[in-house]
Amino acid sequence: MIWLTMHDPNLGCSSYIIGDEVTGQGVVVDPLGALGVEQYILSAQDAGIEIGLVIETHVHADHLSCASALASALGVPHGVSAEAPVEFLHQDLHDGENLTFGMLTLEVWFTPGHTPDSISLIIRDLRRSTKPWAVLTGDSLFVGDVGRPDLADADDSAIRLAAQKQFDSVHRLLALPDGTEVWPAHYGSSPCGGIFMNKSPHSTIGYEREANPFVSMDRDTFVDQTLRLLKPPPEEAQAVRQKNLAGIGAGKDGAS
Amino acid sequence: MTAEELKAWLDDSKMHVLIDLRLGRAYTTGHVPGALSAPYRQHGWAEMVADWAKNQNPSVELGLFGDNAVIIKAASDALQTLGVASAAAFDGGLGAWQGAGYPVVAVRDLTVDELASSLGEWTVIDVREPYELRSGVIPGAQSIPMGSLEQHAATLPKERQYALVCASGSRSQSAAAYLAEQGYRVANVVGGMSLWLGAGHPTE
Repeated sequence: MIWLTMHDPNLGCSSYIIGDEVTGQGVVVDPLGALGVEQYILSAQDAGIEIGLVIETHVHADHLSCASALASALGVPHGVSAEAPVEFLHQDLHDGENLTFGMLTLEVWFTPGHTPDSISLIIRDLRRSTKPWAVLTGDSLFVGDVGRPDLADADDSAIRLAAQKQFDSVHRLLALPDGTEVWPAHYGSSPCGGIFMNKSPHSTIGYEREANPFVSMDRDTFVDQTLRLLKPPPEEAQAVRQKNLAGIGAGKDGAS
Repeated sequence: MTAEELKAWLDDSKMHVLIDLRLGRAYTTGHVPGALSAPYRQHGWAEMVADWAKNQNPSVELGLFGDNAVIIKAASDALQTLGVASAAAFDGGLGAWQGAGYPVVAVRDLTVDELASSLGEWTVIDVREPYELRSGVIPGAQSIPMGSLEQHAATLPKERQYALVCASGSRSQSAAAYLAEQGYRVANVVGGMSLWLGAGHPTE
């Protein structure tokens, strides 16, 4: 497996270029407008990866995406959850669907909570094992934290419902094997998480089950704590989300 | 630049070299006849190409072939910085070139399972170094280490079809492209001996 993590340290964002090491077929997940289309194209070429699909784990509200611009510059599809209310041309991703790149597979899981369209991607390298190697958890499960439930719909009852969904999603993810690597879309002081989010960009399912404070809570405590710990939403969250919904998050040069 | 303009440049320019910037696998699958493979990299690529270009006859013109405008621009800019100009730059990829009806040199991909089930139809050429052969050799394979392929090429009968193999499928990819350039019918064994052995196919 070829694996590149691409960060924006200013906002604590992570994005990924992942490919099959024999055939070079691969995928970009959550490309960041701050890094820009060129950087993904050049980095993938450096790593010997031919990108066949650009995926977003959800419609982001904290930063501008360049997924639409990247997909169109490469002439490849742009995949988002079938639940995402996006306005651009895209490929619908469905729960349980397996996306294949050579012997690498990404299994799509719907993990709503942070947004109704949040997905996680279970990664297997069938050249080595049929067991999951890693999971891209988007804004569902973070290192030490969970994704906030209020950025897609700020209505009080919607937030409560979203927090309940987040509880189910997090526990679905925690059923993965202990050794599965966890790679979220954020780390550090990202505004998409809370005060417990760790500065490390990755962990494992087993370690989070042991050390993540939200894991041992029952549903009511989880919902209560999630709401109690909410920070103010990131600046211009709704405007950013609207741009990302329209697929005009960021152009080729990363500018909005 | 359109495919027609690239074709006209290749036909008109007396001394030229077309450099294919795409990944090695894409080049092997199909490339413009005569093009050289030098996959673009952000680090080291421009220096390598510039060093090479400076040892050529000064009247040799350089062309760049790719399938993405971002990579063509990065490569052209990097060469320019080192004082090497490119006379032609094409970002339409093989699709646009073939779509205009122009010929390509092609190598087909062969999986280890396909090769195992049709072994009699192929002359297998193993381009690994002698010390690497201890891990096992595909039955009947001819050992021609990468470095001596050029001198052996002339002795290979053209009526056979050749399956090129190495440890991982990377060196054999270049070797296959080279033989295809010489007019041989060639396939590259994807994943090489690591997948052949991994799949439990026989060795000798």
